[in-house]
Amino acid sequence: MNRVIEIKMGGLEIITDETEELKTFVGSCVAICLFDLVSKVAGMAHVMLPKKSDGTKFAGKNDIGKYADEALSYMINDMILKGADKKRIKAKMVGGATIFAHESETSLFNVGPRNIAFLKQILQENNIPLVSEETGENFGRWVRFNLQSGEMLVTSNLKKFEKTI
Amino acid sequence: MNLDLIISDLEEMNVMSAVYVKCTGDIHMGVLLYLPEKESKILAEKLLGKSISNELAGIATSSISEIGNILTASLTNAISIGTGYKICSSVPGYAVEFFRTLIEAVVSDFGNESDTLVVSNVGLCGVNSGIGMHMLLIQDPSEIKKLVI
Repeated sequence: MNRVIEIKMGGLEIITDETEELKTFVGSCVAICLFDLVSKVAGMAHVMLPKKSDGTKFAGKNDIGKYADEALSYMINDMILKGADKKRIKAKMVGGATIFAHESETSLFNVGPRNIAFLKQILQENNIPLVSEETGENFGRWVRFNLQSGEMLVTSNLKKFEKTI
Repeated sequence: MNLDLIISDLEEMNVMSAVYVKCTGDIHMGVLLYLPEKESKILAEKLLGKSISNELAGIATSSISEIGNILTASLTNAISIGTGYKICSSVPGYAVEFFRTLIEAVVSDFGNESDTLVVSNVGLCGVNSGIGMHMLLIQDPSEIKKLVI
Protein backbone atom coordinates (compact mmCIF):
# COMPACT_ATOMS: atom_id res chain seq x y z
CA MET A 1 0.00 0.00 0.00
CA ASN A 2 1.39 3.38 -1.03
CA ARG A 3 1.92 6.15 1.50
CA VAL A 4 -0.42 9.01 0.71
CA ILE A 5 0.75 12.57 1.29
CA GLU A 6 -2.16 14.95 1.67
CA ILE A 7 -1.63 18.51 0.50
CA LYS A 8 -3.46 21.28 2.35
CA MET A 9 -4.82 24.45 0.75
CA GLY A 10 -1.93 26.50 -0.57
CA GLY A 11 0.48 23.63 0.10
CA LEU A 12 3.06 22.01 -2.15
CA GLU A 13 4.86 18.68 -1.93
CA ILE A 14 7.52 16.97 -4.03
CA ILE A 15 8.08 13.23 -4.01
CA THR A 16 10.84 11.00 -5.36
CA ASP A 17 9.63 7.71 -3.92
CA GLU A 18 7.38 5.58 -6.13
CA THR A 19 5.61 4.17 -3.08
CA GLU A 20 4.24 7.63 -2.29
CA GLU A 21 1.15 9.30 -3.73
CA LEU A 22 0.02 12.91 -3.66
CA LYS A 23 -3.54 13.75 -2.71
CA THR A 24 -5.61 16.91 -2.36
CA PHE A 25 -9.10 18.34 -2.70
CA VAL A 26 -9.95 21.22 -5.03
CA GLY A 27 -13.02 23.28 -5.79
CA SER A 28 -12.17 26.62 -7.34
CA CYS A 29 -8.50 26.01 -6.48
CA VAL A 30 -6.34 24.04 -8.90
CA ALA A 31 -4.22 20.95 -8.23
CA ILE A 32 -1.28 21.27 -10.59
CA CYS A 33 1.00 18.29 -10.87
CA LEU A 34 4.40 18.30 -12.58
CA PHE A 35 6.23 15.03 -13.12
CA ASP A 36 9.23 13.41 -14.74
CA LEU A 37 8.48 9.71 -14.97
CA VAL A 38 12.04 8.81 -16.03
CA SER A 39 13.67 10.36 -12.97
CA LYS A 40 10.60 9.54 -10.87
CA VAL A 41 10.20 13.01 -9.45
CA ALA A 42 6.80 14.65 -9.08
CA GLY A 43 5.31 17.64 -7.37
CA MET A 44 1.81 18.82 -6.65
CA ALA A 45 0.64 22.27 -5.62
CA HIS A 46 -2.76 23.35 -4.36
CA VAL A 47 -2.98 26.71 -6.12
CA MET A 48 -5.45 29.18 -4.64
CA LEU A 49 -4.75 32.35 -6.61
CA PRO A 50 -2.90 33.38 -9.81
CA LYS A 51 -0.34 35.67 -8.19
CA LYS A 52 0.35 37.74 -5.14
CA SER A 53 -0.89 41.27 -5.62
CA ASP A 54 1.69 42.99 -3.44
CA GLY A 55 4.70 41.43 -5.16
CA THR A 56 6.30 40.10 -1.96
CA LYS A 57 7.76 36.60 -1.84
CA PHE A 58 6.06 33.76 0.01
CA ALA A 59 6.43 33.87 3.77
CA GLY A 60 7.24 30.25 4.52
CA LYS A 61 6.85 26.60 3.57
CA ASN A 62 3.15 26.53 4.41
CA ASP A 63 1.98 28.60 1.48
CA ILE A 64 4.46 27.82 -1.28
CA GLY A 65 1.68 26.42 -3.41
CA LYS A 66 -0.77 29.23 -2.83
CA TYR A 67 0.07 31.45 -5.80
CA ALA A 68 0.41 29.96 -9.27
CA ASP A 69 3.55 31.83 -10.28
CA GLU A 70 5.45 31.12 -7.06
CA ALA A 71 4.27 27.51 -6.91
CA LEU A 72 5.40 26.59 -10.42
CA SER A 73 8.71 28.40 -10.12
CA TYR A 74 9.48 26.66 -6.81
CA MET A 75 8.27 23.28 -8.03
CA ILE A 76 10.32 23.31 -11.26
CA ASN A 77 13.51 24.37 -9.47
CA ASP A 78 13.11 21.88 -6.64
CA MET A 79 12.28 19.03 -9.02
CA ILE A 80 15.43 19.75 -11.03
CA LEU A 81 17.46 19.76 -7.81
CA LYS A 82 15.98 16.35 -7.03
CA GLY A 83 17.00 14.90 -10.38
CA ALA A 84 14.26 15.83 -12.86
CA ASP A 85 15.14 16.94 -16.38
CA LYS A 86 13.20 20.08 -17.31
CA LYS A 87 12.80 18.84 -20.89
CA ARG A 88 10.98 15.76 -19.65
CA ILE A 89 8.66 17.51 -17.18
CA LYS A 90 4.98 17.21 -18.04
CA ALA A 91 1.90 18.64 -16.33
CA LYS A 92 -1.60 17.57 -15.39
CA MET A 93 -4.15 19.71 -13.63
CA VAL A 94 -7.53 19.42 -11.97
CA GLY A 95 -10.01 21.89 -10.48
CA GLY A 96 -10.70 25.54 -11.18
CA ALA A 97 -14.43 25.14 -10.80
CA THR A 98 -16.88 28.02 -10.47
CA ILE A 99 -18.71 26.91 -7.35
CA PHE A 100 -21.07 29.82 -6.76
CA ALA A 101 -23.51 30.70 -9.52
CA HIS A 102 -24.71 34.25 -9.73
CA GLU A 103 -27.95 35.64 -10.92
CA SER A 104 -26.22 38.62 -12.40
CA GLU A 105 -24.16 38.33 -15.57
CA THR A 106 -20.98 39.55 -13.92
CA SER A 107 -19.31 36.96 -11.77
CA LEU A 108 -17.23 38.34 -8.93
CA PHE A 109 -16.05 34.92 -7.93
CA ASN A 110 -14.38 33.62 -11.07
CA VAL A 111 -11.10 32.77 -9.38
CA GLY A 112 -11.24 29.18 -10.73
CA PRO A 113 -11.13 30.06 -14.44
CA ARG A 114 -8.52 32.75 -13.72
CA ASN A 115 -6.32 30.17 -11.98
CA ILE A 116 -6.59 27.80 -14.94
CA ALA A 117 -5.80 30.48 -17.52
CA PHE A 118 -2.82 31.77 -15.57
CA LEU A 119 -1.37 28.31 -14.95
CA LYS A 120 -1.64 27.45 -18.65
CA GLN A 121 0.19 30.66 -19.49
CA ILE A 122 3.05 29.87 -17.09
CA LEU A 123 3.30 26.29 -18.37
CA GLN A 124 3.54 27.59 -21.91
CA GLU A 125 6.22 30.10 -20.94
CA ASN A 126 8.23 27.24 -19.42
CA ASN A 127 7.63 24.88 -22.37
CA ILE A 128 5.97 22.33 -20.12
CA PRO A 129 3.27 20.35 -21.95
CA LEU A 130 -0.11 20.03 -20.26
CA VAL A 131 -0.88 16.40 -21.10
CA SER A 132 -4.31 16.18 -19.49
CA GLU A 133 -6.75 18.15 -17.40
CA GLU A 134 -10.10 17.85 -15.65
CA THR A 135 -11.04 21.46 -15.05
CA GLY A 136 -13.92 23.92 -14.88
CA GLU A 137 -17.56 22.97 -14.19
CA ASN A 138 -19.09 23.72 -10.78
CA PHE A 139 -18.15 20.93 -8.38
CA GLY A 140 -15.31 19.91 -6.09
CA ARG A 141 -12.90 17.07 -6.86
CA TRP A 142 -10.59 14.79 -4.90
CA VAL A 143 -7.29 14.25 -6.73
CA ARG A 144 -4.67 11.54 -6.26
CA PHE A 145 -1.44 11.31 -8.25
CA ASN A 146 0.47 8.07 -8.59
CA LEU A 147 4.18 8.52 -9.35
CA GLN A 148 4.63 4.94 -10.53
CA SER A 149 2.05 5.22 -13.33
CA GLY A 150 1.86 8.99 -13.77
CA GLU A 151 -1.90 8.68 -13.49
CA MET A 152 -4.15 11.11 -11.71
CA LEU A 153 -7.32 9.72 -10.19
CA VAL A 154 -10.12 12.29 -10.02
CA THR A 155 -13.30 11.68 -8.01
CA SER A 156 -16.36 13.76 -7.22
CA ASN A 157 -18.59 12.86 -4.29
CA LEU A 158 -21.36 15.13 -5.54
CA LYS A 159 -21.39 13.98 -9.15
CA LYS A 160 -20.46 10.44 -8.12
CA PHE A 161 -17.79 9.91 -10.75
CA GLU A 162 -14.28 8.58 -10.82
CA LYS A 163 -11.92 9.01 -13.74
CA THR A 164 -8.24 8.65 -14.47
CA ILE A 165 -6.44 11.30 -16.47
CA MET B 1 -4.30 26.34 5.39
CA ASN B 2 -5.98 23.40 7.07
CA LEU B 3 -9.68 23.21 6.22
CA ASP B 4 -10.16 20.10 8.37
CA LEU B 5 -10.07 22.39 11.41
CA ILE B 6 -13.46 23.85 10.48
CA ILE B 7 -15.14 20.90 8.76
CA SER B 8 -17.10 18.57 11.02
CA ASP B 9 -17.90 14.97 10.07
CA LEU B 10 -21.58 15.85 9.76
CA GLU B 11 -20.86 18.67 7.35
CA GLU B 12 -18.56 16.38 5.36
CA MET B 13 -21.40 13.89 4.80
CA ASN B 14 -24.24 16.22 3.79
CA VAL B 15 -24.84 18.14 0.60
CA MET B 16 -25.44 21.77 1.52
CA SER B 17 -27.33 24.58 -0.07
CA ALA B 18 -25.31 27.76 0.30
CA VAL B 19 -25.31 31.46 -0.37
CA TYR B 20 -22.15 33.53 -0.41
CA VAL B 21 -22.02 37.31 -0.19
CA LYS B 22 -18.80 39.27 -0.34
CA CYS B 23 -18.63 42.57 1.53
CA THR B 24 -16.23 45.36 0.65
CA GLY B 25 -15.72 48.98 1.61
CA ASP B 26 -14.39 50.14 4.97
CA ILE B 27 -14.40 46.53 6.09
CA HIS B 28 -13.85 43.36 4.03
CA MET B 29 -15.57 40.10 4.86
CA GLY B 30 -17.30 37.10 3.38
CA VAL B 31 -20.63 35.79 4.61
CA LEU B 32 -21.50 32.16 3.90
CA LEU B 33 -24.98 30.97 4.77
CA TYR B 34 -25.55 27.23 4.48
CA LEU B 35 -28.03 24.54 5.42
CA PRO B 36 -28.60 20.93 4.34
CA GLU B 37 -30.06 20.79 0.84
CA LYS B 38 -33.13 18.87 2.06
CA GLU B 39 -33.94 21.61 4.56
CA SER B 40 -33.40 24.34 1.99
CA LYS B 41 -36.14 22.75 -0.10
CA ILE B 42 -38.54 22.95 2.86
CA LEU B 43 -37.53 26.56 3.40
CA ALA B 44 -38.03 27.45 -0.27
CA GLU B 45 -41.46 25.78 -0.19
CA LYS B 46 -42.43 27.93 2.80
CA LEU B 47 -41.20 31.09 1.10
CA LEU B 48 -42.86 30.38 -2.23
CA GLY B 49 -46.02 28.84 -0.80
CA LYS B 50 -45.87 25.83 -3.08
CA SER B 51 -44.27 22.41 -3.11
CA ILE B 52 -41.02 21.73 -4.93
CA SER B 53 -40.86 18.23 -6.34
CA ASN B 54 -37.55 18.33 -8.16
CA GLU B 55 -34.14 19.80 -7.49
CA LEU B 56 -33.92 23.40 -6.35
CA ALA B 57 -33.76 25.66 -9.38
CA GLY B 58 -34.91 29.02 -10.74
CA ILE B 59 -37.14 30.94 -8.37
CA ALA B 60 -36.52 28.42 -5.56
CA THR B 61 -32.74 29.07 -5.55
CA SER B 62 -33.52 32.76 -5.85
CA SER B 63 -35.58 32.60 -2.66
CA ILE B 64 -32.70 30.98 -0.76
CA SER B 65 -30.29 33.58 -2.18
CA GLU B 66 -32.67 36.26 -0.97
CA ILE B 67 -32.48 34.93 2.59
CA GLY B 68 -28.70 35.15 2.40
CA ASN B 69 -29.00 38.65 1.06
CA ILE B 70 -31.39 39.79 3.80
CA LEU B 71 -29.37 38.23 6.64
CA THR B 72 -26.12 39.67 5.32
CA ALA B 73 -27.70 43.09 4.85
CA SER B 74 -29.03 42.96 8.44
CA LEU B 75 -25.53 42.18 9.67
CA THR B 76 -23.75 44.82 7.61
CA ASN B 77 -26.40 47.38 8.49
CA ALA B 78 -25.91 46.67 12.21
CA ILE B 79 -22.12 46.94 11.84
CA SER B 80 -22.51 50.14 9.88
CA ILE B 81 -24.80 51.72 12.49
CA GLY B 82 -22.43 50.71 15.30
CA THR B 83 -19.20 51.78 13.64
CA GLY B 84 -20.04 54.26 10.90
CA TYR B 85 -18.33 52.03 8.29
CA LYS B 86 -19.57 52.10 4.73
CA ILE B 87 -20.02 48.52 3.54
CA CYS B 88 -21.06 47.30 0.08
CA SER B 89 -22.29 43.75 -0.47
CA SER B 90 -22.08 41.76 -3.70
CA VAL B 91 -24.84 39.97 -5.56
CA PRO B 92 -25.32 36.68 -3.67
CA GLY B 93 -23.76 33.57 -5.18
CA TYR B 94 -25.63 30.26 -4.86
CA ALA B 95 -24.26 26.74 -4.77
CA VAL B 96 -25.24 23.18 -3.88
CA GLU B 97 -22.20 21.19 -2.81
CA PHE B 98 -20.47 19.47 0.07
CA PHE B 99 -19.27 21.85 2.78
CA ARG B 100 -15.61 21.21 1.96
CA THR B 101 -16.10 22.53 -1.58
CA LEU B 102 -18.04 25.56 -0.37
CA ILE B 103 -15.50 26.62 2.22
CA GLU B 104 -12.60 25.96 -0.16
CA ALA B 105 -14.16 28.27 -2.76
CA VAL B 106 -14.83 31.00 -0.21
CA VAL B 107 -11.36 30.83 1.31
CA SER B 108 -9.63 30.91 -2.09
CA ASP B 109 -11.85 33.71 -3.34
CA PHE B 110 -11.10 35.68 -0.22
CA GLY B 111 -7.50 35.96 -1.38
CA ASN B 112 -6.09 36.88 1.99
CA GLU B 113 -2.42 37.68 2.16
CA SER B 114 -1.76 35.70 5.32
CA ASP B 115 -2.02 32.01 6.17
CA THR B 116 -4.98 32.46 8.48
CA LEU B 117 -8.57 33.59 8.50
CA VAL B 118 -10.94 34.21 11.38
CA VAL B 119 -14.19 32.27 10.97
CA SER B 120 -17.14 33.16 13.22
CA ASN B 121 -19.97 30.64 13.19
CA VAL B 122 -23.55 31.64 14.00
CA GLY B 123 -26.24 28.95 14.29
CA LEU B 124 -29.80 29.93 13.42
CA CYS B 125 -32.81 27.73 14.19
CA GLY B 126 -36.45 28.23 13.24
CA VAL B 127 -38.60 28.00 16.40
CA ASN B 128 -41.62 26.51 14.64
CA SER B 129 -40.11 24.89 11.57
CA GLY B 130 -37.03 23.49 13.31
CA ILE B 131 -35.00 24.36 10.22
CA GLY B 132 -31.39 25.02 11.18
CA MET B 133 -28.79 26.94 9.25
CA HIS B 134 -25.36 28.36 9.78
CA MET B 135 -23.92 31.71 8.93
CA LEU B 136 -20.14 31.99 8.73
CA LEU B 137 -18.49 35.34 8.92
CA ILE B 138 -15.05 35.07 7.33
CA GLN B 139 -12.41 37.74 7.78
CA ASP B 140 -8.73 38.33 7.59
CA PRO B 141 -7.30 38.84 11.11
CA SER B 142 -6.41 42.44 10.25
CA GLU B 143 -10.02 43.12 9.27
CA ILE B 144 -11.56 41.67 12.42
CA LYS B 145 -9.49 44.08 14.50
CA LYS B 146 -11.61 46.86 13.03
CA LEU B 147 -14.63 45.31 14.72
CA VAL B 148 -13.24 44.42 18.12
CA ILE B 149 -11.34 47.62 18.92
